[in-house]
Amino acid sequence: MWLWFAKLGSPKWFYELSSKWLPWLVGAMAITLAVATVWALLYLPPDYQQGFTSRILIVHVAVAGTSLAFFPLMAVAGTITLVWKMKLADMVAKNAAALGAWFSFITLATGSIWGSVSWGTWWEWSDSRLVSMLFQFFLLLGVVSLRSALEDSDKAAKACALLSIVGCINVVVIKYSVEWWNTLHQPASPVSIESGSANGPEFWIATALMILGVYLFMSVSLILSTRNEILRRERRALWVQELLHESD
Amino acid sequence: MNLTDGIQFDSFAAFIDMGGYAFNVWAVYALFALFVTVNLVAPLRQRKALLRDLRRRQTLNQRSAESTAGVAVDEANHKAERVET
Amino acid sequence: MKPHRRKMLGIILFIAFGLSAAVGLTLYALSQNINMFFTPTQVAQGEVPAGQHFRIGGMVKDGSIAREADSLSVNFVTTDFASEVPIHYVGILPDLFREGQGIVAEGIVDAGGVFQASKVLAKHDENYMSPEVKAALDAAGASAENHSAASEGGSL
Repeated sequence: MWLWFAKLGSPKWFYELSSKWLPWLVGAMAITLAVATVWALLYLPPDYQQGFTSRILIVHVAVAGTSLAFFPLMAVAGTITLVWKMKLADMVAKNAAALGAWFSFITLATGSIWGSVSWGTWWEWSDSRLVSMLFQFFLLLGVVSLRSALEDSDKAAKACALLSIVGCINVVVIKYSVEWWNTLHQPASPVSIESGSANGPEFWIATALMILGVYLFMSVSLILSTRNEILRRERRALWVQELLHESD
Repeated sequence: MNLTDGIQFDSFAAFIDMGGYAFNVWAVYALFALFVTVNLVAPLRQRKALLRDLRRRQTLNQRSAESTAGVAVDEANHKAERVET
Repeated sequence: MKPHRRKMLGIILFIAFGLSAAVGLTLYALSQNINMFFTPTQVAQGEVPAGQHFRIGGMVKDGSIAREADSLSVNFVTTDFASEVPIHYVGILPDLFREGQGIVAEGIVDAGGVFQASKVLAKHDENYMSPEVKAALDAAGASAENHSAASEGGSL
């Protein structure tokens, strides 16, 4: 078990395994995103209240849901960095922070564009769901700038790891804000198996596909940037030097 | 099953109009497309630049190992180091 | 696990739990301030200090919307099915505003007990359905809430 754990943490092992997996992941991502987008734009029925603005929510829900995965991911990676000092974990965490900030921003932007017509406002400071998501965006920017501010990369890794673990609390607040307090933002939708009922398959299958596609996209983007980080940090390693002789 | 059956629009114009919410719907999908593209293209471009840089450094190191004129090489290495950080 | 790793893990867990507890207590203490709006029942029970600017949230009572001709002025009643508060508003209403719709209004209660709103926002609930489904459900006499609660499977 520990041998496997140590192997998993080896940048070289990750680089080689991801080389094999990437084409499949990219293919799955492209197909899922394409099908989900075409479905959402052409086939999704209008909502009885919002009409076609419900199409915005397919993207919004998928990106928002995925954005909540970043702090837990960075916290796990951070714990591994702090406790086991595994190099790979910190490389993943470093790139996750920036990507997570992107996800949070897109969540806020798409939500705002939807809210401007449905709620009648672009932004509400009094809504705890909105504000806690904005807080997550700033926290992730904070993690990114903390790393660039600290010159000692070992110290930076530790500080970011701690901030990531603490940041998980906010994820819980975002998730349950709509249940603990009354908000303008609607709660999560119960899913219905029956077609012809509220939140039936005609709505949630497209959303579920989009969520899968966005998770695949997140994985692909994160793997790509982690591979770059590996090459950068391990550039003096023999296996990287040998790899440079090969073509891309 | 006919694929055109489930389409919610009668015409291309209706599709573009999105029931009067063209701006909001298309703005979100354009933003989403941009977001996905940027976060895939950026790491790929970074990789290209990185590989080019690492290869150049490798050649320089090999040359410095062969010759004794190491000063120029050190300078070039130093420059590359700065570019990378 | 090596002792120093166990110690590190212990410190991390301690920090995580300590901070969670602190944040939890703070949020609990602030919960009334974090709530976006008061319900009509809370207003009826006098939980809102008189003369204060606040937000009220409830449903637009069926058949209560009265628009004035030739102006943007509108009167309606908001309800949480226990208490009701009449609202007066001048301005453009959001697309989703209609009878039976959840709304949040911002403003102040005047001397006559009418809520003078400076802003009205529409809420969308968590149920999405096509117009055909909505019509079928209405025809069957089943309310959307009961129906979806009965077939609840998970959530998105």
